[in-house]
Formats: sequence, C-alpha cells, structure tokens
Amino acid sequence: MKAIKLSVPIFFILFSTVFLIASFNLPKANLGNPNAPIYFPAGLSIIMLLFSVIYLFQELKKLHKENKYIKEMLSGRTPKLIGFTLLLGIIYSFIFERIGFLSSTIIYLGALLFYINGVKKWMVNIIVTIVFSFISWYAFSVLLGVSLP
Amino acid sequence: MDGGSFVDGLMLSLQPINIFWIIIGGFLGTVVGMLPGLGPATAVAVLIPVTFGMDPVSAIILMAAIYYGAMYGGSRSSILLNTPGDGSAIAATFDGYPMAKKGQAGEALAISAVASFIGGLIAVVGFIFLAEPLATFALKFGPAEYFLLMLLTLSAIVALSIGKMVKGFLAMMMGLTLSTVGIDTQTGVYRFTMDIPHLSEGIDFLIVIIGVYAIGEVLYNLLTIDREKKEKKKVGRVWFTKEQWKRSKWPILRSGPIGFLIGVLPGAGGSIASMIGYTTEKQISKKPEEFGKGAPEGLAAPESANNAASVGAMIPLLTMGIPGSGTTAVMLGALVMLGLRPGPLLFEQQPETAWALINSMFIGNIVLIIINIMLVGLLVKILDTPSKVLYPIIVILAFIGTYTLSYSTIDFFLLLIFGFFGLLLKVMDFPLAPLVLALIVGAEMEQNFRKALLSSNGSFDIFFSSGVSIALVILTIVSLLYPLIFKFFKKRSRVNNPDQASKSS
Repeated sequence: MKAIKLSVPIFFILFSTVFLIASFNLPKANLGNPNAPIYFPAGLSIIMLLFSVIYLFQELKKLHKENKYIKEMLSGRTPKLIGFTLLLGIIYSFIFERIGFLSSTIIYLGALLFYINGVKKWMVNIIVTIVFSFISWYAFSVLLGVSLP
Repeated sequence: MDGGSFVDGLMLSLQPINIFWIIIGGFLGTVVGMLPGLGPATAVAVLIPVTFGMDPVSAIILMAAIYYGAMYGGSRSSILLNTPGDGSAIAATFDGYPMAKKGQAGEALAISAVASFIGGLIAVVGFIFLAEPLATFALKFGPAEYFLLMLLTLSAIVALSIGKMVKGFLAMMMGLTLSTVGIDTQTGVYRFTMDIPHLSEGIDFLIVIIGVYAIGEVLYNLLTIDREKKEKKKVGRVWFTKEQWKRSKWPILRSGPIGFLIGVLPGAGGSIASMIGYTTEKQISKKPEEFGKGAPEGLAAPESANNAASVGAMIPLLTMGIPGSGTTAVMLGALVMLGLRPGPLLFEQQPETAWALINSMFIGNIVLIIINIMLVGLLVKILDTPSKVLYPIIVILAFIGTYTLSYSTIDFFLLLIFGFFGLLLKVMDFPLAPLVLALIVGAEMEQNFRKALLSSNGSFDIFFSSGVSIALVILTIVSLLYPLIFKFFKKRSRVNNPDQASKSS
C-alpha cells in the first residue's frame, strides 16, 4: 500500500522534472522572442514540481493511514480484474484492425464478460456479446457512417 | 434578446430529427447516468461517437440532452439504490432513499422528476435572459481578460475541491502541461512530440477524457463490483400525494434560481448547488428533524437545484467558450471536434444554433419528465441489469469512440494509459475536473497569455489594465483564499457552538 501511496507523488516529481528539462531543451523560435515557446511549459513544470514535493510530504505524513480504495484495489480478485481488462485491451488494440471490428469485439467483449460476470452466466454472456457487437457495428458503421475495419 | 433568432432557433429545435435526437439523448443519458458510479461527464464522454457524422446543430442538441438526461438519471440510482451516479446526485440520497425504504419509491421518483423539470425550466428562462448580454459583454474581452478568466475558472475549480487543493493543483498542472504537447501555433516549434508524428497535433483531449471518465471509472467501479448488492424495490404508482406536493412546491421554486446562479459560476456545479439547496431548505423548514428521514422537500430542493445548475453551467460554455465544470469541459471538447466554437461569437455568427440549443433544453426537459415518469418501469428494469454486464459494454463504447477520432489504434494505447492513470488518481482521491478542464483550455490559455504580453511589449501591466481584468484578478485571489476563509468560519462556528460541532462530527 505504501508503495502505491508514494508512487503517485514520485511520478509527479519525475514527470515535472522531465518536462522541465525537456522545456529548456526545446528548439528556439525563429519568429519573435526565441524563448517564447519555452516560458509557459517551463513555468508550469516548476510550479508542478513544487506542488509535487508538497504532495510527497503530505503523503509521507499519513503513510501509515489506511486508504480503503488502495486496499480494495489490492484485495481479492480486483488486481486480476483490472489487469485482465487492461491486458485484453492491449490485445484488442493489436487485433482490431487485423481481424476486423466485429470479430475482435466479439472476442474482447466475450472474454471480458466471461471473466467479470463469471462462467456460470455463460448464456447471458454469449447473448450480450453477440447482440451488442452486431448492434454497435450496425449503429456506427451503417447508421452513423463510421468506417470500422 | 433577438426575437428573430429565437424563433429561428425554436423552429430548428422543433425539426423532427432534432426532437428525435433529444429523445434518444435524453434516454441514453438517463440510462448511463443511472448506472452507479457513472455521472454526466462519463455519459457525454462515452456517447461522443454517437454524434459523429451528424449536423453540428443536432450534435450539440443531442449532447445537451445526454447531459441533462444523465442529471435526471443520476437521481434514479440515488433514490432506488442509495448509490449516486455522481456528486450532484448525492443530496438525492439523503431523503430520496429513506422515502424509497418507506415504500414511497414511486412518489420519490415523481418528486425528483418534477423538481428536476421545474428547476430546469426556471434555469432555461434565466438562460434566455442572461446568455446574450453575457456574450455581448464577453465580446469586449481581449487576450489578457480571456487568460485571466481561464485562470479564474481553473482556480475556482481547484479551490472548491476543499481538503485536496494540492491534488487539485497537481491535476490542473498536469492538464496544462499536457496541453503544451504539439506544434506551438505562434512559432511553429515542435514541443515534446518525441519525433512521433501522431503527437504533432498534440494529445487529443478527447482520448484523455474518454480514458479518464470511461475506462478509469469502469476500472474504479471494478474495485467493488463483487460486493455489489442489488436491492429490488417496488416502485408502484409514480406520482405524489397532495400533501407531498404542498411540501415540495416552494422548495422547488426557491432552489431552482439558487441552483441556476451557482451553475453559472465557474467551478461550482451541480454538487454544490444541490447541497446548498438542501441545507437552505433544512434551515428554513418548520420540520428540520424530518430531513434525512424521507422528507419530500429534502428531495425536491436538491433535485431542482442540480438540474438548474446543469443548465446554468452551459452559460459560461456557450457565451465565453469557457467550461465551468468537468462535464461542460467534456462537452466543449466534443463541440470543438465537431467544428463548433462556443464563445461570444457563437451568438453573433450562428445565433440560430445557440437559440436552437436553448430551445432544445426546454423541449428536452419536457421529454425527460415524460421518460422519467412514463417509462419508469423500463428504467427500473435497466437499473436491475447487472453492472458486470454493463461495464464491459462501456469499455467497448470507449474504444469505438477513440477509434472514430483518428481511425488509428495507436490511440487505444493512450486510452488505456489514461484509463489506468484515471484509476490511480481516483484511488488517491484526486479531483478529475481540474485535469480535464486544464487540458482543454490550456492551449488557448497559453496563446492568450502570450498574445497579451506581445501586445504590451512584455509588460505584465496588461493584466491590470482594465476594470474587468482587475476584477478577475481579485476574484482569482478570493477563490484561492476560499479554502482558508471556509476553514476560518468553520473553526469559528465550532468555537461558538461546541455542542453542534460535536454532534455534526
């Protein structure tokens, strides 16, 4: 839990530091003030860095205090649920254009429903997967004219 | 008010196709808003792709219908399940759920629908009178005033996240920083694009919005999905008794204008409006002890206020092009994508569009009360649909929405990254609205800041050069000091009323 609590302020510190360094390495403008594109992002990065440090101290102060949401995120099958949803999302991203919207959506939605809703409700899962995939394909591709692969 | 434009707008909004979109948007918004944990911002974000390929007027009408449909829907789950869709529906749980528990679910739903309807109507009338003068006033704004107005909006939205201001600032800074990615429009310099051509136009804020509000919210709701208990409530006849109406009518009429004015203010939205509506009624009620135990006025007041606020929040969006809340920020994103540029010029260049939207709000409220009263059986059945089935569907809709933005699956990865990031922020109790708002207004804020300095040869005096800019600077400082003022008064009231303080804590 402590690692997650600290990871967010550390992420902000790293993010703002990287942005600050990158701001000063931006190419100079050929028009007008050469440093004009740098000021705004550099200023923001400095302010963000300051707030990130304040936030880190705030988190350090209450490091031992329990956060029920982090607890929930790490307990039971929740980490697997989140991980599985994201992992399947990555796979969906790879197969979406290769095998087409309909097939990839049937696979992704079906897998998600079987994992989240459980195997016991296989009938509901299959019906929802097929009906929703076809309806969404018809609605977007045919009715709304969205070009889906 | 320009009568001709008003009539043109009315005729446009009364076109069968637009009425059709109002019905569809109102219904879809109600359904998504009803889902526990999902609010209007998510409803608009998830349903953005539905507007693709549409005529911009129909699209804006549809999106507005989704927005206030979700506001209506949010209170359905508050009353029936004690699970508000979002912050603005929390106050509906205080007396709505106790009413449902007492077997008055039908009455509670009817009071909520009628209160929302009247609150919405009051706000539409306010909108008609306030929108055009405000747009005319905003036409006088120069870059310095615009920059300061955006600064005020962002400061207000951060300051109102009391208790988590540092997090609010961080979210805001993150949004502003991300808005600098891409080609700098004034100098043509590529900033932070890491030689990825896809990033030269910047990070598409709609991907961030859909990621944070749709994927992030679904992931967040997965935390408790296995513990979700669905209570089946008998709804019965959806109407209220004479006595309930007698107790509700004045709170509805009082809370509508309050909600509308709060909605117009930058940063403040439905959550604050509904809370103020509720506490005001409790304070002036002859039976304050009944509040929290199923008092009809305790439900009517916040419902009227939050719906009025949702209409009021459209004023800064349409007249100045500056969204005052997370949901209106999402709407702005979608409107810009559709080629519409909300702002003072909208009323000058496309008055029929602006007035069509305003009139559609009026029609939308009528449609929504019909949906929410006549189709209550269907809505309750939808509410019975397990979230375990609905959330995967929302994930797919988020992917479709993202794909339609650029027809590239590269954005899917960004969607997942921002979805996970949104989950982390929610878990760590970050307010999301400052992030989204800053990301959307960031680019323009920077351009206005630089234009203002350019016009003054680099002198910061430009930000104090007019009455409006000085007023905006003062308001920004006051809004930033608001948490301290709030703390001070809270402390003082504790010292003055130690008994009450101990009770409330």
